[in-house]
Amino acid sequence: MTYPSVYPTGVTIYDPAKCWNGYTILQAMEQGALLINMNGAEVQLWKGLHGFPNKLLPGGYVFGSTGQRNPSFGMQDQRDLVQVDWEGNIVWRFNRHEYIEDPGEAPQWMARQHHDFQREGNTVGYYVPGMEPLVDRGNTLILCHKNLKNPKISEKLLLDDAIIEVTWDGDIVWEWVCSDHFDQYGFSEAAKNILARDPNFRPSGGGMGDWMHINSMSVLGPNKWHDAGDPRFHPDNIIWDGRETNIIAIIDKKTGKIVWKLGPDYDSSKELRKLGWIVGQHHAHLIPRGLPGEGNILVFDNGGWAGYGSPNPCAPTGIKSALRDYSRVLEIDPVSLQIVWQYTPAEAGFVMPYDSNRFYSPFISGAQRLPNGNTLITEGSGGRLIEVTAKHELVWEYISPYWGHGLNLNMVYRSYRAPYGWVPQLDRPEEIAIERIDVTKFRVPGAAPVGRLRETVVEGVLPYQGGDNALCVGQAED
Amino acid sequence: MSITLFTSTGCIRCKIVKRFLGERGLAYAEKDIKAEGKEDFQKFYVAHRKSIYRGQEGVEFPLLFDGVAIRQGLAAVTAYILAGKGLDGFVSVGTLHQEWVDGLLVSGGDPSRAEEFMELLRYLKGNNMKIRLDTKGKNSHILSRILDEGLAALVVMEVPGPGALYRRITGEEVDPSDLARSIALTPKFPQYQFQITVAPVIEADGTARYLTPGEVAETARQILEITGSKKHPYLIRPFKPESADDPRLKGLDPMAVQALYSYRTAAREYQVLADLGKE
Repeated sequence: MTYPSVYPTGVTIYDPAKCWNGYTILQAMEQGALLINMNGAEVQLWKGLHGFPNKLLPGGYVFGSTGQRNPSFGMQDQRDLVQVDWEGNIVWRFNRHEYIEDPGEAPQWMARQHHDFQREGNTVGYYVPGMEPLVDRGNTLILCHKNLKNPKISEKLLLDDAIIEVTWDGDIVWEWVCSDHFDQYGFSEAAKNILARDPNFRPSGGGMGDWMHINSMSVLGPNKWHDAGDPRFHPDNIIWDGRETNIIAIIDKKTGKIVWKLGPDYDSSKELRKLGWIVGQHHAHLIPRGLPGEGNILVFDNGGWAGYGSPNPCAPTGIKSALRDYSRVLEIDPVSLQIVWQYTPAEAGFVMPYDSNRFYSPFISGAQRLPNGNTLITEGSGGRLIEVTAKHELVWEYISPYWGHGLNLNMVYRSYRAPYGWVPQLDRPEEIAIERIDVTKFRVPGAAPVGRLRETVVEGVLPYQGGDNALCVGQAED
Repeated sequence: MSITLFTSTGCIRCKIVKRFLGERGLAYAEKDIKAEGKEDFQKFYVAHRKSIYRGQEGVEFPLLFDGVAIRQGLAAVTAYILAGKGLDGFVSVGTLHQEWVDGLLVSGGDPSRAEEFMELLRYLKGNNMKIRLDTKGKNSHILSRILDEGLAALVVMEVPGPGALYRRITGEEVDPSDLARSIALTPKFPQYQFQITVAPVIEADGTARYLTPGEVAETARQILEITGSKKHPYLIRPFKPESADDPRLKGLDPMAVQALYSYRTAAREYQVLADLGKE
């Protein structure tokens, strides 16, 4: 994708009248948990606090972790999940999931948390009116890793995903293991074949297959589908999505069984074909009651590369068999599978397919529905956070100015918007509008201004042709 | 007494038993249930259905019938040929396949028959079988000999509970030092596992209640104290009331899986690798 070498970071667009104003929390690369206001002022940095992701809680608390396991031995394992107060004190911690003894490292209990967690009181980990997460008690659902072998999947060691529920005192009171339900995921024979040979094998710890790679997990909460009698949407049920398999699923909390699913393939029904392939997705969740669009599934459909299937020119062995070079944010009716709302390169104003990859993050990312109907989108790989209205108007944009040294990216895994009231330690900030710069006229110091020094008229020339038929590449429908 | 041996075409375990019979000069009639013996076995099965073990993968073979007793599985059949009922208690029907043989309970048999039990194990090992042994603590001297001769590839030790509750859980007495020696020996085998079933304890008034998380933790602590290590594989398994003989236990409500998590948390204080068994 075309990306200029020089571009502004921080907040670049801001319309206070159209935004849902508040603080935004994000994990800034190699800095810590960063809280910014609508003008991008960094009002608080919890320095060095990791977060996968960071989430704000009422009272100025933040969730995060104190560090990651040495990647030589584990993949994306956070040592613990901690709740930290405004002053940096750890007020709650969980790490007693597995006792780890890595060579050259101190033996220790670890949570092996990755990608998501949810505190009782709130189903999705972001602001919902009337659904405050508990801060001084309550259970926490945590997405963790677990190494095991499952011959149904592969003879190789797997890096499996597990969801545990822990009490405030750290007792595990419920557990669900992803590979236990392999038969329910609906993999084709081609997918099973390549899974057996290569379950997304990664080098950590001598090698392990990150076969499903669950990256979000949340509770359904009260919803209209269950109110209407559909047991699949019981409020206690949990929705998650697997990035490597293109699966979004709901599990019954009581039995652990899959009761609703999208993927792994999207060509088996008219509805799925119309929905289109969801590839390498992140942050699938049910919009909670109390927010516009409640009961629909919101997901950041990354595109990129994911899935197991038949070999093709871009996936010679069949692993990562689905490919797409742009992203979509989809709001989906989970019963009819209709797309209720979307934000794709088209809605972003880019010409598809030629310029599709201007809205594209092949990994990480997320989407949060805001109380006024706007959506906060984390286009993570480029560190770009945007707020768009229901009519797709871009009313806020922030680009992270923090690149990593270990990894030359300014990526943001997932960001969240929270109300000012959640941080009583600060006065409500001023909100100053930022007009969108006209990039055709904006120049860096030393560059010549736009405009020709001389203009020559050529006789007989025709006007330029418009329309995408003028280009030699395919069209959006292709 | 005539021996009928029901076998299955290509069954390696059946071949081992046939060789054993041949080495002892014992005559037998072989009925291959996949060939000429199919009908005979069907009749036999109908007539003795209640005495024949049928696992998840079907009836275990080889199956020996001498007009008095039925024995199934490599270990049980070989033990019967070797010592008649003398090794009952040490052997039962095994369920493992391929190169593994199980159904061997070191603590279950008469210690005076130890020599025959050792002979059985040597024969199985000598036929390239990998032996899984189970023990609940008794007969540690036999376990020690097995270790010395390198006969077992895997030992699974069920530690029923704190020593003080052993009789109230198992209905048997155990010498605490015998139990301790077995615990100390178990980690010395090439593969091993400790486990505990969250079993009912018979109270003084005759009622039954389940082991508590604290009691399971105490058992884990006992293993730590004896072995000096808190890093043993330690499986916590649910009790199945439907499989109990005692009517007091049959009537118990089965424990929900969720209830076992508190047991695991408690046990992990002393055995950090404690985890839940699925069955």
